[in-house]
Amino acid sequence: MIQNLKNLGVIFFPAYDWAISPTHPEREERLLYTQDQLLEEGLFDLPNITEYKPEVATYNDIDLVHYCFPSAKEVSTESHLVAAGGAIKAARLVMEKQVDKAFAMVRPPGHHAMKVVHGNRGFCNINNEAVMIEFIREHYGRKRIAVVDTDCHHGDGTQDIYWHDPDVLFISMHQDGRTLFPGTGFSDELGGPSARGRTINIPLPPNTSDEGILYVYDHLIQPILDDFKPEIIINSAGQDSHYSDPITNMSVSTQGYAKLNQKLNPDIAVLEGGYSIQSVLPYVNLAVLLAMAGLDYSHVVEPDYDRERLCQNQQITDYLEKTCATTLKSYFKPAPLKVKLNQYDTRIKNIYYDTDGISDQQVEQVMVCSNCSGVRHLTSKTDRGTSCMGIEIPLDACPRCRDEGYRLLDEGRRNFKGSAIKFINRLDKEYLTVNEFELTPMGRYYF
Amino acid sequence: MLLGIDVGGTHTDAVIIDKNGVIASAKVETCQENLIASIDAVLQEIFATGLDRSIRRVNLSTTLTTNAIIEEKLEEVGILTTSGPGLIPATFNFDLGKHFHLLRGAIDHRGSKQQELDETEVREAIKEIKGKGVKVFAVASKFSSRNPEFEETLAAQAAPVADFVTIGHQVSGQLNFPRRLATAYYNAAVWRRYINFTDAVATSFTKFNLKAPLNILKADGGTIDFANSRSKPVETILSGPAASVMGIIALSAISEDAIILDIGGTTTDIAIFAQGTPLLDKDGAGFANRKTSIRAIKTASIGIGGDSLITIDEKGEISVGPQRQGAPLAFSGPALTLIDACNVKGLCSLGDSKKSFSGCGQLAEKISLGALQLADTALTTALKTIHEKSLQLLDEINQKPVYTVAEIIHGQKIVPQKLFIMGAPADVLAPELEKIFSLETIVPKNFAIANAVGAALTRPTMAAELFADTGKKRMFIPALDYKKEIDRSYSLAQAKEDLIRILTEYLKENHYIDKAVPEIEVVTAEEFNMVDDYSISSKSIRVSCQIKPSLETDYLQGEKV
Repeated sequence: MIQNLKNLGVIFFPAYDWAISPTHPEREERLLYTQDQLLEEGLFDLPNITEYKPEVATYNDIDLVHYCFPSAKEVSTESHLVAAGGAIKAARLVMEKQVDKAFAMVRPPGHHAMKVVHGNRGFCNINNEAVMIEFIREHYGRKRIAVVDTDCHHGDGTQDIYWHDPDVLFISMHQDGRTLFPGTGFSDELGGPSARGRTINIPLPPNTSDEGILYVYDHLIQPILDDFKPEIIINSAGQDSHYSDPITNMSVSTQGYAKLNQKLNPDIAVLEGGYSIQSVLPYVNLAVLLAMAGLDYSHVVEPDYDRERLCQNQQITDYLEKTCATTLKSYFKPAPLKVKLNQYDTRIKNIYYDTDGISDQQVEQVMVCSNCSGVRHLTSKTDRGTSCMGIEIPLDACPRCRDEGYRLLDEGRRNFKGSAIKFINRLDKEYLTVNEFELTPMGRYYF
Repeated sequence: MLLGIDVGGTHTDAVIIDKNGVIASAKVETCQENLIASIDAVLQEIFATGLDRSIRRVNLSTTLTTNAIIEEKLEEVGILTTSGPGLIPATFNFDLGKHFHLLRGAIDHRGSKQQELDETEVREAIKEIKGKGVKVFAVASKFSSRNPEFEETLAAQAAPVADFVTIGHQVSGQLNFPRRLATAYYNAAVWRRYINFTDAVATSFTKFNLKAPLNILKADGGTIDFANSRSKPVETILSGPAASVMGIIALSAISEDAIILDIGGTTTDIAIFAQGTPLLDKDGAGFANRKTSIRAIKTASIGIGGDSLITIDEKGEISVGPQRQGAPLAFSGPALTLIDACNVKGLCSLGDSKKSFSGCGQLAEKISLGALQLADTALTTALKTIHEKSLQLLDEINQKPVYTVAEIIHGQKIVPQKLFIMGAPADVLAPELEKIFSLETIVPKNFAIANAVGAALTRPTMAAELFADTGKKRMFIPALDYKKEIDRSYSLAQAKEDLIRILTEYLKENHYIDKAVPEIEVVTAEEFNMVDDYSISSKSIRVSCQIKPSLETDYLQGEKV
């Protein structure tokens, strides 16, 4: 095998003192056996692989991305700050060219955390990739970024955050939402009016194997990336499409994951799910690291690997061929939305926080603008009686949308009958939280 | 009385220390071709004073194994190894000679066998090695510190045809297969030379009627007893720098976070202390381009010393080191050195200062500078480089990855309070370094015999890991080769207690015959639930402990030594 060595930075942070609960898949020892394997292999002694300590993300880093209610501090723990900080460290290492590539092998994961955060969904509170992307754009300027989510679960959080962002291409391949949490990620989910075709979903039938995911890469992801020409490629790297994962139904092997990463050649990878913690994660994580570093991964094979048993059937192959062809068309020529220029387009979202048991109804509006991706406005009402508002002026905002953002803020201050307004102005880097008492006009009183 | 002998690169020193400090010392030149002759000579000299010979203990620091490795005076080793899934086998065969055999067989991270050894293949490999006349073996398998079965089988098979077999998990109980392999290889490769040397040392001691127990210095600032060192000779590499670091503690009684500079003729060695204890390399010493798991004091070396050459490149940039051509001009050397610059700056007046001034003036003219300006720039450059390198080392230590949220958020950092400097130019450079480091700076007296004093006072060190899997009902301490069956209720508390008890028993039998065992520090103690189908089925327990480097306390230390 011809080796093309890359300097790889690894931010390994297993958070041995954090778990959702003692027997929850997202528990302390999830990366323990991975660590054992990496240490025993002497991976960090290889000349082109270096281990780095994570940074600790600040609440300001989180506030660039999320509308956290009541605040970033109250919806996150120190572990979330370290995991997001691990992703930030990965970005810093790559952006400042200290390494060619970086893998933030951190937990807890993040890709189910959406724009609004009231609590934990799908093991996630804070979206590590999004915090990292906004860190990059805040410190290194506007970039074209592609996020390829290879976790077995639809990356609905990342999709939600970048739904209206034409600079961030989000591609998720995952087990079909009709058979797995979170039940979304269908081919017709293509992004909002200003970023149509910048969200791409490939639902995979259960039992899709190495052959299937590599086909999807070659016939769909690669052509899209060739067209989009991202400056940075991020792998939202879930290792749970593996054939032995306890909470999914796929047939991907360690070699499949490694080949996918070799082809994708991401600048940064951020760990997401993967819950076969003893028999698989040590091998998949090792193989993916080797692939990113340009080292030979051909000997990283599960002890129980059985190629014949893992072969996908012809039906799956046929289905994927068809899906890839239609989805590729959707990228180049997405079905247009019925929207009117210079008016708000509205999206209603019902979101359930499965871990914390919160239901949230959101109304999101985006200005359909020919000059920028449009100012955004959102209200969120939970079954716990919380009512909140978010306003965002995007990085590429035109003067009209910028002014409109401030008008919305002003109007919210005067008339919004909720507990808080989060205001994000990426253009001028102004971030505000307007809380309850400031919202209460003189002489009026309400809960 | 304690006797310390340091066989260094240029000199062999010996000191005798009693409760009142150093009562005798001797220095002879080291004969690299015949280290025993140097030991004989230094003993001759120190006992010539007519001292009585009631020595309680002898500690010896020697460059024998270090030099054997550097000079590649290594015996050919037959290597039997198994790897299983992971990095390609070629990655591990880092040039360990012609007799490297990678065999079938795999053990995973839990110590479960995933593939059996192939008996025929093993037999053939051993036959082939024997056929080439190779008499020493190293066996190492991936994850042997979780399950030593393969290594034990391979060692037993090789034993009948071998003079000596090194077993991987006995020289390295931590996880790191390539380092374990390299360590086992070196251990076997230096074994015969070391045995011959120690036999000769024993003969020499008999000649001088020295009957005290003998300990050998290790790289981690501790000692190993004579008998055990003969099966783990690799532990004695890099004991020279360790002796000098322990010496500086003896001479200055360090108790805080500190930076230590040992400034020699060619290089400056930097070490970092945390609350008076030298910090060790996290994974083990790197050596001759191979990484090992030998515990060693973490040092950084930089090519700047008193005799470092001052040069001016084609762009007019002034630099100091790393070349050295000989003594300074002031001592009739061939070219301008850092010490000459110190003479010109008026920091000292060593040797013939006039030669320093004229040499400096001549070089300075080339770039239209005055002699003083050149001396000043050269000195500042040199000291700044030493400062930067020290901060780099400190940063590297403080940036060491940790794996819990608590350690990331609340972890402690090393913040040096003092700077200790030793070596020939120490007195001259101390005031300048004090300014640059902005730290209280101390130059211990008597640093010329620091290594021998350090050797004399150093106590035994030891590290051991315990790994228990209640699902497999197995507990294992690789370094002591101790195995025990446990029941499912085995706990972290029991594991800690077991490790300390078993290590204490071992130390009493081997190192501390008549003295109390020093405090055994538990470094890590972790317990993880292993969950099958959403219920806790068993536990994985990992404990590691160590005896940190320390000095004999009932012998006088500090300024008066």
